[in-house]
Order: sequence, then C-alpha cells, then structure tokens
Amino acid sequence: MSDTILEIRGLNKYFGPTHANRSIDFKLKRGEIRGLIGENGSGKSTLLSQIAGIHSKDSGVMLLNGKEYSPRSPLDAYERKISMVVQELGVVGALPAGVNIFLGRTGGFTRNGIISLNNLNKAASAVFEKWGLPQVPMNRLTEGMSVETRKIIELARALSVDPDILLLDEITQSLSMNNRRKLYEIMQRLKSMGKSVIVITHDVEEMLEITDAVTVLRDGAVVGEVESAKATPDMVKLMMVGRDISGEYYREDMKPDYSESIVLSVRNLTVPNELEDVSFDVHEGEILGFCGLSDSGIHSVGKAVYGLSRAAGGSVLLKAGNIQIKSPRQALNSRMAYVPKDRDNEALMIHASILDNFVLPSLTELQGGFGFLAPGRLKELASTMVNKLSVKCTDIGQSMDALSGGNKQKVNLGRWLAKDIRLLVLDCPTRGVDVGVKAYIYSLMREAKKNAIATILISDELSELLGMADRLIVMKDGRVKKTIRRDEDFTEQSVIGVMI
Amino acid sequence: MSAKIKLRDLVPFIAFAVIFLFFAAASGGRMLSAYNLKLLLDQSMITILVGCGMLFVVAQGSIDLSVGVTLAISGVAATWLAEASGLPWLLLPAALIIGLALGLFNGVMVSRFKVPSFMLTIAMLIGIRGIVNYIQTIIDVQYIPDSLRFLNLSYVKIPLFLVIVAAMAYLFEFTKAGRYSRAIGENETAAKYVGVPVSKMKIAAFALSGLMAGVGSVFSIATVGGTSMQMGVFLEMKVAMAVFLGGVLVTGGSSAKIYKVLLGSFSITMIVNGLSLIGMSESQISESVEGALLLLILFVTILAHEKSGKGKKTAEAEDGAAASSA
Repeated sequence: MSDTILEIRGLNKYFGPTHANRSIDFKLKRGEIRGLIGENGSGKSTLLSQIAGIHSKDSGVMLLNGKEYSPRSPLDAYERKISMVVQELGVVGALPAGVNIFLGRTGGFTRNGIISLNNLNKAASAVFEKWGLPQVPMNRLTEGMSVETRKIIELARALSVDPDILLLDEITQSLSMNNRRKLYEIMQRLKSMGKSVIVITHDVEEMLEITDAVTVLRDGAVVGEVESAKATPDMVKLMMVGRDISGEYYREDMKPDYSESIVLSVRNLTVPNELEDVSFDVHEGEILGFCGLSDSGIHSVGKAVYGLSRAAGGSVLLKAGNIQIKSPRQALNSRMAYVPKDRDNEALMIHASILDNFVLPSLTELQGGFGFLAPGRLKELASTMVNKLSVKCTDIGQSMDALSGGNKQKVNLGRWLAKDIRLLVLDCPTRGVDVGVKAYIYSLMREAKKNAIATILISDELSELLGMADRLIVMKDGRVKKTIRRDEDFTEQSVIGVMI
Repeated sequence: MSAKIKLRDLVPFIAFAVIFLFFAAASGGRMLSAYNLKLLLDQSMITILVGCGMLFVVAQGSIDLSVGVTLAISGVAATWLAEASGLPWLLLPAALIIGLALGLFNGVMVSRFKVPSFMLTIAMLIGIRGIVNYIQTIIDVQYIPDSLRFLNLSYVKIPLFLVIVAAMAYLFEFTKAGRYSRAIGENETAAKYVGVPVSKMKIAAFALSGLMAGVGSVFSIATVGGTSMQMGVFLEMKVAMAVFLGGVLVTGGSSAKIYKVLLGSFSITMIVNGLSLIGMSESQISESVEGALLLLILFVTILAHEKSGKGKKTAEAEDGAAASSA
C-alpha cells in the first residue's frame, strides 16, 4: 500500500459566481494530522465538504487509496471510511442523542421495521467508551443540550464510522479546555493507528501544536504548505492574510490599567445548578476575564449579569442609579450590552436584514416624537456602522445569512458599539472568526476600554484572556476559585493549575 | 441574490392582478360598476381592520384564530348592552372593551402560561361561539340603534376606516412595537437576549388583535345593520388567509408588512365577490371553488419561495459569496 491515502488534483468548485475552490492539489499521508487554515471564505470548509460527500466537485480528481473517489452523499463517504464534523451544529434537536449518533444508519438496529433503541443506545455508549468521550444521556433529546455536548455527539457520530480519514471543521472552538485535551488524545490515537485527520481551526497556535503539517488557503486556492514543527504563528498568519498583522493582536502591557470607580457589583449571586455564591466588581475601563472548564459556570455569569437567569439569591447591582438588574430589558435600558456565545441561535435574526439586526438594540434611542422610527435614521445608523466595521456586504438590506461568520460577528458586536454603553458582556466573542476579524475585535475591545467601558470577557480560549484581561477570574463548579491580576502570575500554567 | 425585488414578493401582486382581470372579464365588467366597487370595499374593510390587528400576532410567529368570535361577541354583547341600557352610544366603547379584554386574556395565556396560540384560540373560537349563539337565541335579531346609523354613511365610514388603517400602519411599520414584534418572530431567543420585553409584546399583540376585532364588530354592525348568529362566522379563516395570501409567512418576522394585509384582503374579497357575480354562489359549490383557488395561489407562493429561496448553501459557500462581492 502506498504512503498516500488521499490525493486531490485540480479540484474546482463553484457556488454561483463564486469560485470557492481553485484548482486545488492536495495530498494526505496515512497517519498524518493535517491542518487547513485560511480566512473566512478561503474555501476550507468547501474543500472538506467535498471530501465528506456533502457537496460534489465541479471538476478535478479525488483518489482514495489510489482509486477514483467521488462520494454522492455523507453516507456514501461513511462507507469509504471518511467522516466529518461540520462547522455549524449538525445534530437533529428533536431526536435523542443515541439516534443522532447513528442517523441514517439505524438499519442495523432494526427488527421487523422497528428500531431497537436499547441496542442502539448500547452501541452509542460503546462509541463514547471506546474513544474516552464524556458520556451523555443517550435517551435525551439533543435540543436541550449545550453547544459543547452537541458537538461531542457529532464527534462520536464521526468516530462511530471508525474513519480512515476524520475531518474536523472548527470543532475545538466549541469545546472547553478539558474536552479539547480529549480530542487531541483521540487525534493522536488515530494517528498511531495509521489513520489520518484533517482539522480546521482559526487558532493558529493551537493548529501548529496539534498538527504535523498545515495547508494554507487564500481565496479558494492553496497558497502554501508548511511543516508544523518548523513554522511560527506569525509566518502562518502572514501567509493567510497576505499582510503582516502582528502588533494588532493582544495587548502588550503587563499591568492592569483601569479606573477605581465600580460599574457593576455582583454579590453572592446564586443560580440553581449554575452559579454558587459568586461575587465580583467590574470597573470603568476594565476588561475582566472569566475562564474555567466546561460546567465551571463562566457562561452563566454572562447570562446572569444581563438579567437572563432567575437568581435564587444575591444581587447584580449597577452602581449608576443603584439599579438591580433583574431582566434583560432593564439591562438594555441601563446601557448594558450582551453578546451571547451562540451567535446564530441566541443573538442574530438570521433571515432578517443587516439593517434590522443593527438597529434592534438602539430602537429606544432612535425614537422621535410619537415613537416615530424614521427609516432614514435607521439606515444612517446601519450604514455608518457597516462602513466603520467594514462589514463585507452588498447592501444593508441584504439578509444576514448571506454573511460569513466573521462578518456576522462584526454585526453582532458592532450593533452594541453604536450605542452609548457602559458595560459590555462578551461571551466567546471570537468564536469561529478568522485572525483578521479576531484582531479587529481585539482592537474594538481596546477602543471600548479607552472609552471607559467596563468589559466582562468570558472565553474558552486562555490565550485570548491572558492577552486582553486586566484581571482574570478562574471558576470551577459554579464558584469563583481565584482572581489573578495581570501583573501577578499571569501565565497559562498557573491558570490551568487553578482551573483543574 | 442581490436582486432587490424577489420573486416571492411579487407573487401576491400577480395573484391580485390575475384574480382582478379574470373576474373583471368573466363578470362582463359588472365587477367594476360603482355599486360593486363600493360593495367590494365594504366587504374588504372588516377583513383589513381585523387583519391589521392579527398582523402583530402573526409577525411574532403566533396566530389568533379567535378574531371571528371576538368580533361576534363584541358586536352582539355591545348592541345588547346599548339596547338594554338605553344608551346607544355605549355600543362603541363596549365593543372595543370586550374585544380588548378577550385579546388580553389570550395574550396572558400565551405569554405567561405558554399555551400554544393555535390551540388556545381554537378553544376560544369554539367556546365563545356558544355564548354568542346563546345570547342571540334569547334576544333574537337585534338592530343597530338609530342614532348610530350614520356610521354606515360612506363619508363617515371610509374616512374612519382610512384613519384607523393609517394608525395601524404607523404602529406596525414605524414604531418599536412593530419592530419588536417582527424581531420576536425572527428569533424569539435573540430578541429576549437583546432585551426586548417578549412577554409584554405578546400580550400587547393579542390585545391589539382583540381590540381590532372589536373595531371590526362596529363596522360590521354598521354595514349589516344589526347582529345575527352568522356574525363573524369563518372570519378568522378569511383574515388569516388574507394575511398569508398577501405574502406574510406563517413564521412571521420581517416578512410581515401592512401592505400585504391590504393586498391579501382585496384578493380574497374579490374571489368571494367575483364568484357570486358570475353566478357561482347559487351553485352550492362556490366554497369549494374558493378553496381550490386559494390552494392554487398558496401553491404558487410556496413554489416561488423555494425558487428564490434560501437553498442549501453551506456557510462557507456564502462566506465566499460575501467575500467576492465585497
């Protein structure tokens, strides 16, 4: 058997006028972990989805084990031992976890036309067992589960095929630190079995750490391939963007730098099953980071602060005007802002226009006499922000779902910056965006900081927290474990030590 | 994708034009007689008024199927009250208040107790119809008080109608109430997470829907000259059909527009009116023809929606599309 498992030659893919993949040549070795990297819209996912049988290629050749390979469907690809975890959520909410694992392949568990859920769930559990994934309740519908759990279910589905090639599209961003570790272990295990992995992530540092080699894409074409061990993050970023962006990234100062006046004071906040006796203050011009493993409660902090949780005890007090925040409406009216983690489901109106999405938090400010919302004023706000944030779109009347992840996120965050806010709650603001947009979001955060806006930054990415926060609150099991200042022991090792 | 006018937005206009031309021709021009045009307007008015209220509910992704009986009970009870008390003018506030109260009840049930609006308003539709029939059998036929007959004069009724529709259009298209309602229909979680008072908006939408049914009852009494058991029968279906025929999606959101209510109401009224003009209404099967026509139009609407629709593109593909168009 030859060393190469998958070979692609001259592959092209068009979506309407868009040339999504331009004569791609690509070779994957057995037992190789390969990274695909590039800005949003560079054609990474398109390439993977053709290998996984989700899209069909327009021209070119794919060879699997030296034989012509053109899958007609994901199930077809499964039979050839290729499986993929897609970028967007790919589980069916109205079906239980176990059925999701064997979706489309329940035939093996059928007797007289009836699926034996018992056998199916056992087999699903066995997959989790085999790969050391945290077990999930197989009988429960997935719609109530967290993004992370649903991602793990998708991963289990992909692994249930015993893939020769596993394709992972931005999965790490949805996983917390401990489950990321598990994923890395699984990748290494596949590698040692002689199986291959292709992985997409926007985190360049992570990518170089976990892969053997990295293929860089720009505008649908391969612009280079580097060995991970020999590459530096800056080198890869330069290849991706085509310009040098170092220096636009994290802050370089190592001192906390904020005013003494408190904006929001949280005392003994308790939310059943989520938070336990949480207290902290956030100051003007401060970026207060929150980190922790999954179930540490960091995401609940954002919700609770914005009045979205029913607290069993404690208080969220906005100092200006002594307002107790108990509902999102109060938070909105008190010049607070919240950017939730799940962009498409919790934040944006995907089928509405860019304008509609932009103006929603600012409607009260935009009202004239008799509550009149002048179309001209709405348009002005939206187009000013679209230009300021350079959102890539043809028109502010364009539907939101025509935008890329990074541009959606610009709208999601930017619509709050159009307002005169005093507190900004960000939950994983750089999830699923490329380095260019990431750098831009960091610059927006710096600008907010300069304007004395208090920021609560909740993130699963430690490097980002260490790069931006003045103080970092480490949480575990819904409690505050430790608060570390920027000028103290502000390193990855020390934080992870507290987290675990 | 970048074309400003989408095919699916045109379908309601095309449907309107086709219906208009067909019946204008089939009736040998009788549809366009001054008398019939006034009749058409009279018949559309109630559908439009009630539709303007229901639009807020539909925009939020809910439905109010109780508008027919709300109109009936408002009309019957208010006329009865006016009669019994000897205060004819009492009819107006009573009709509005009864409509509003029923709407509030629906709103509270839907928002606070999470009863699906479809089930709730069907239950109301059945239950309240019984009360209407009960009152109506006791008091037999009622007539509008003489001092209110002026409401049916064209120069009173039409301006009044226009002012109310303009107010509703303003509220829906140019204020927070309308935008918040559409936001709830687009993505209720996102609306809530931004800080839209979702529960309050739901109550307000149903209250408005009830109030407009009350307004509709006044117009209905003025036009018909009184109340009967037939009042508001099937009206909820007619209004819902008008809203959807006009191009509002069942899921609501930004597809909801006031002009669509007007367009849909005229289309559906023309079908009913046109069938009776060409003599179909005596043939007993006019309702079947009505249903078949509606089905055809809905079918074309959905087909057009799929054609210009949101297809099966992946996010990455659209990434590319957005990037290349920039």
